Amino acid sequence: MLEAVVEKKLRDYQLDITLTVKAGEVMVLMGTNGSGKSTTLNIISGLLAPDKGSIILNGECICRTETGIDIPVEERRIGYVLQNSAVFPHMQVRENVAFGLKARHISREIISDRVNFWMEHMHIADLADVKAGNLSGGQKQRVALARALAIEPSLLMLDEPFTALDTESTQTVKELTRKFIKKLNIPCIVVTHRIADSTEIGDRACVLCHGKKEWEGLPGKMPEYCTVCHCA
Amino acid sequence: MSFFNLRPKRQTLTYIAAGILIAAVTLYLALPILALFFRITPEMFFATLADPDVISALWLSMFTTFVTLAIVIIVGTPFAYYHCRYNYPGKIVVDTLIDLPLVLPPAVAGVGLLVLYGRVGLLGRYFNMFGIQFAFTTLAVIMAQIFVASPFYLRQAKSLFEQLDPSYEQTARTLGSSSMRTLALVTLPMTASGLISGAVMTFGRALGEFGATIMFAGNLPGVTQTMPLAVYVGMQGNVNVGLTISILLVIISFAIMITVRILQKREEKRA
Amino acid sequence: MKETLKPYRIVLISIVCGLLLASALFAGCTQSTTSTPATPVATTAPVTTQAATPVATATAVPTTVVTTATPAPTYTASSGNLVAFTAASLTGASGTLGTSFTNAYPGHKVVFNLDGTQALKTQVENGAYADVFISASNSYTNTLKSEGYFVNSSVKTLCTNYVIVILPASNPGNIQSLSDLSKPGVKIAMAASTVPVGTASLAAISNLANSTYGQEWKNSTISNVVTYETSEPAVATKVSLGEVDAGFVYQSTATAAATGTYQTLTISKKDNYLQTYSIGILQESTNKAVAAEFEQFMLSSAGQDILQEYGFTPVI
Repeated sequence: MLEAVVEKKLRDYQLDITLTVKAGEVMVLMGTNGSGKSTTLNIISGLLAPDKGSIILNGECICRTETGIDIPVEERRIGYVLQNSAVFPHMQVRENVAFGLKARHISREIISDRVNFWMEHMHIADLADVKAGNLSGGQKQRVALARALAIEPSLLMLDEPFTALDTESTQTVKELTRKFIKKLNIPCIVVTHRIADSTEIGDRACVLCHGKKEWEGLPGKMPEYCTVCHCA
Repeated sequence: MSFFNLRPKRQTLTYIAAGILIAAVTLYLALPILALFFRITPEMFFATLADPDVISALWLSMFTTFVTLAIVIIVGTPFAYYHCRYNYPGKIVVDTLIDLPLVLPPAVAGVGLLVLYGRVGLLGRYFNMFGIQFAFTTLAVIMAQIFVASPFYLRQAKSLFEQLDPSYEQTARTLGSSSMRTLALVTLPMTASGLISGAVMTFGRALGEFGATIMFAGNLPGVTQTMPLAVYVGMQGNVNVGLTISILLVIISFAIMITVRILQKREEKRA
Repeated sequence: MKETLKPYRIVLISIVCGLLLASALFAGCTQSTTSTPATPVATTAPVTTQAATPVATATAVPTTVVTTATPAPTYTASSGNLVAFTAASLTGASGTLGTSFTNAYPGHKVVFNLDGTQALKTQVENGAYADVFISASNSYTNTLKSEGYFVNSSVKTLCTNYVIVILPASNPGNIQSLSDLSKPGVKIAMAASTVPVGTASLAAISNLANSTYGQEWKNSTISNVVTYETSEPAVATKVSLGEVDAGFVYQSTATAAATGTYQTLTISKKDNYLQTYSIGILQESTNKAVAAEFEQFMLSSAGQDILQEYGFTPVI
């Protein structure tokens, strides 16, 4: 379970977010461009430091500004899939998926098992030896997903994962995500700006506007307009 | 192919003008190099290759230039990386200093190195107390080359690292990869071809370095007389030596350029 | 759709055209070099140019008429300016010589191109323009004569010079005598053997070895040389900077330097190498009358006194 309460002064506004995501739950974060969605993810992952606040993941405090706790990015065990999937184009799919495991100095057999497991379940096993730079958008996203899940993260975050994908790939990625979030029983945050995505993939949804949470509830029940800036 | 969508007459004129321009530029660059080959006979060239001054200049140049390149790459790459990724006090000053050797006349660089590291130099005098001397040694040649040639690599590396999409390094970090590991496995492979072209420019500049070398390292065959110095001295006495070494330098430069092109083509094919 | 010429393109093209125009004008106004063949021309007699300036003193102007197979030089010096390619060891004296010449021959000015004699010789052989050539070495003088660059009859001995060893004022190497030059760890600067003073230094060292110090001394001294400079003043500079313990230069350099710049070690005349400087007019000169006046000046007591002041041994 993720409990995040963070504040950060940004260029255009003050980011002030409280987010709670249960294990096995997919929380959809919505809002117009510039409302603070990606910034929130960056703060939770540790790439950005909040001005004030705390982040608790599975009962462990990974960040608390009052006491100066700030676990570095590399050690937070958070799977983070960026919008452009950021698969390493010069490495093969297999090497991409294994990347996070190799960084942790796990034994070769375990790495090999896990890599094969995830490649199978993400339907990319037949692409194992292909250079990741040559893949299509949907394939890249699945590789990024496999790579992120292979490290057995305590939290999975996806930033606009469907923007560059066609309908079929979008469906596949959505199904795979939901399936494994439930299986692994970890919290998951998905950032998207399309309402349709939220109903298909999310268990809960919230709407951000100018750095504040305007609304939170069930995906189907999202109000038509948000009160401040008409961003839903 | 219709160029600029001009009417036919204008088109022909444009083609002619373009042709003249291209021919002029190409010939201006190519003819002096070709002229070298015509000024000396092949027999004379091969005979002069055996001249001990030619051989020692060749070895010395190759040795010093490769050492310079190695130092610039090994020290310069992490430097450029950290310089780009972190904001430290005085970063702007360092940024400007990296560019300085590019506009500074090499002779001035040589004078500077001499008054700093020379036997009675600002720093050199302290080294001298321990018996360490820089001026007039092969090390001085390397120091001069590093000073004038490193900006080519550093600027290139800086630019590449700055332009690399940060999402790759960020993702690597979230996956648990340390800074060094990310640099080695993600950043460098993705910037490799650009870094190589920076290295090539550095090599070329170091190989051709003259002004700073003769000022700081002096001119001693076998110790500090690199190929450019040998050309200069040769042209004042033994013209055949001067021409032979000039031709050698042309051949080496071309060989490097072609090798790099081949490597780059192969990398593009693989991708 | 026709492409309209964007304003910045017009500006760029104008700048390029302007630069081309400017460089063309510039090239036209300054000296251009003639291309003289590397091999001596199969001819004939030197060219005569009109003696444009009537001068009070009678000068000996070369008067033979010419036909030459080489194309006439396409440039002439800007009026009154004489170009003198001069051995670098005259650098210190050149300022005074120039002023004095203009005082003696009003309306005329001499411009010195100072470099190692060997460098200047190469330049002339590759077509550089000069009116007068002052050489520090007989062998280079003779080469230029035999290659046909000199008006041979105009070549005269100008002055002489001996080799001397200079030490930095602080004498860091603690050199007390010539024999100390072979001590291990001593750093010596010399001119390259293609530079006249370089050959002279080596000759002096050989003489000293034969007469006094022996071959071992010579070998050790030569192995103590850390740099072969490409001109004589460069040797003096390395010594004055204190970067070497000793340097072989001309006596003139030591004499002309401000007191206290160097310590010196003289080499006796019998072991020394007498360097003979010559002055001559070049065939390619289009200003031979003024060139002859300059030569006359240099050989006159006016010129010779200045040379002596700067440490050269005059010929008169």
